[in-house]
Amino acid sequence: MVVIGGGPSGLAASVKLEEKGYDVTILESERELGGILMQCIHDGFGTKLFNEAFSGPEFACKFIDRVRDLDVEYFTNTFVKSVKVGSSLKEVVALNRQGVLKLSCRAIVFATGCRERTPFEIKVGGTRPAGVYTAGMVQRLVNVYGVLPGKKVLIVGGGDVGMIVARHLLLEGVEEVTIVFPEAWFAGLARNVQQCVLDFGIPFKPRTVVKEIVGKERVDGAVLVNVDEQWKPIEGTEVFHPCDTIIFSVGLIPNSSQLEEMGAEIDPRTRGPVVNEYFETSLKGVFAVGNLVTVFDYVDDAVETAFLAAEGVEKYLQGEERREKPTPLSPGKYLRLMVPHRVEWADGRDVVAFFRSSVEKENCWIVAKDGSGGEIFRTLKRYVRPTLLERLEIHRDLVDKAGRVVVDAE
Amino acid sequence: MQSEVICVRCPKGCKVKVAFEGGSVTSVEGYGCLLGREYAVQEVVNPQRIVSTTVRVLKAPYQRLPVRTSRPVPKDKVREVVKALAGVTVEAPVKRGEVIVKNVAGTSVDVIAERDLESEGG
Ligand SMILES: Cc1cc2nc3c(=O)[nH]c(=O)nc-3n(C[C@H](O)[C@H](O)[C@H](O)COP(=O)(O)OP(=O)(O)OC[C@H]3O[C@@H](n4cnc5c(N)ncnc54)[C@H](O)[C@@H]3O)c2cc1C
Ligand code: SF4
Repeated sequence: MVVIGGGPSGLAASVKLEEKGYDVTILESERELGGILMQCIHDGFGTKLFNEAFSGPEFACKFIDRVRDLDVEYFTNTFVKSVKVGSSLKEVVALNRQGVLKLSCRAIVFATGCRERTPFEIKVGGTRPAGVYTAGMVQRLVNVYGVLPGKKVLIVGGGDVGMIVARHLLLEGVEEVTIVFPEAWFAGLARNVQQCVLDFGIPFKPRTVVKEIVGKERVDGAVLVNVDEQWKPIEGTEVFHPCDTIIFSVGLIPNSSQLEEMGAEIDPRTRGPVVNEYFETSLKGVFAVGNLVTVFDYVDDAVETAFLAAEGVEKYLQGEERREKPTPLSPGKYLRLMVPHRVEWADGRDVVAFFRSSVEKENCWIVAKDGSGGEIFRTLKRYVRPTLLERLEIHRDLVDKAGRVVVDAE
Repeated sequence: MQSEVICVRCPKGCKVKVAFEGGSVTSVEGYGCLLGREYAVQEVVNPQRIVSTTVRVLKAPYQRLPVRTSRPVPKDKVREVVKALAGVTVEAPVKRGEVIVKNVAGTSVDVIAERDLESEGG
């Protein structure tokens, strides 16, 4: 067994598999285990699994301790370069300072997480002087190395990472922080708006984007422009905002390029791999978990996908029976995305799904329908919001009866 | 009187309604778990926050050690806590949960290490 990625999802899958008696090797490209949690020093992790609000490192350490107790083999500073899938054996090629590492295994769990979108991907004009960062880079710089990026900071993006970084920079002694974003209101979680932005009176400008970065060697500022509801710049509203640092926090994208190269099917909505109810990709015996599948707001949910994949690996290795025809699961009109994408195994376990709504609603019915539009199941959610990935359980016999399942908000 | 509080304890962000009369809380609604019930009552009576930051660490593979207050501190003390920690330097090895500063900024709350850090080379 090889697990690629030593973040919380990879660690959780490894621990479960080792407990089941499989021989697991974890490959991690960073110098230590723990994934992005090691730089997320704020609290709020583990409220579902442990009913406590741990910090990122504390949560990750729970699993790292387990990995050490069980003596799971792991390599850090080891980057997986390629994976070949044969009919039963899989070949993993990884690089580290000792050289090239070749491993063959019967099943693989990918847990490579997500990466940040860059300013290049959102078409920002102007120059590229020093002082332009992504939020994750800054989080690492400040929390791990203790270096502040600048004195007057502009943050682009009203998501969680941007807000968390804004608060942190302010507390650590940056003189001025301003946040701009194209939406009418922050896209991130309500808790972060309250405790990161409003608590500290951090100034912010909705419906505003960076038109141009200004500066030769170092950032001198940015030209800001107002946008309309379609995020189209409104001419004549340009203003110059002086600052020495611009931090982009404009979204996360699953690290799925390796899987794509291997021929795994990719969902254009999540930009992660298409998976079945045990988080197996379209390549048999190749599993994908955590933020690689879709960006999870709760690490607890990411960890759940890892536990499910561990069950799936066992089924795969034991050659358990699959259905003649998989049942597709898909999001309806008001859902932006949903995983898993199909139910493929013949067993009795209820299906755990995660979805993100594209609308904000209080007391919202989530309705599942079969292929012909007949309702098979409904459940009431207190709130659904685009900012929150929701969890849903669907009874296996309901799925069995339907030829396909479409889930939507009503 | 009734206030609506957004629970900040986890990403769900439940809207909790707290009703109170003459200083005592009469009903709490809308929380997703007990952490949130506790939080919402606190937020109305005496708002508090967990403070997370980093301190300088020597002889470790990294320059900073993430730390946090072991319990929430009053909201208006957050900046003071961060200030009090600005000059603190510790030496590796450090164990997770180890107390780094006792009774920080007179809050009677301790600041603890969020992670283990082994000493460099050891
Ligand atoms: C700023 C921020 C705040 C958050 N706040 C909360 C919160 O308050 N509460 C909460 O519950 N959740 C929170 N989350 C979500 C939570 O952090 C994630 O759901 C979780 O970390 C996902 O874990 P993962 O293992 O899937 O990915 P990651 O932690 O990203 O781990 C992936 C690992 O794979 C490694 N890797 C990648 N490619 C390769 C390769 N080719 N070879 C070898 N290794 C590789 C990477 O180095 C990394 O260590 C937050 C996330 C962010 C970004
Ligand atoms: S009440 Fe519980 S579930 Fe709701 S936000 Fe607070 S901690 Fe999270």
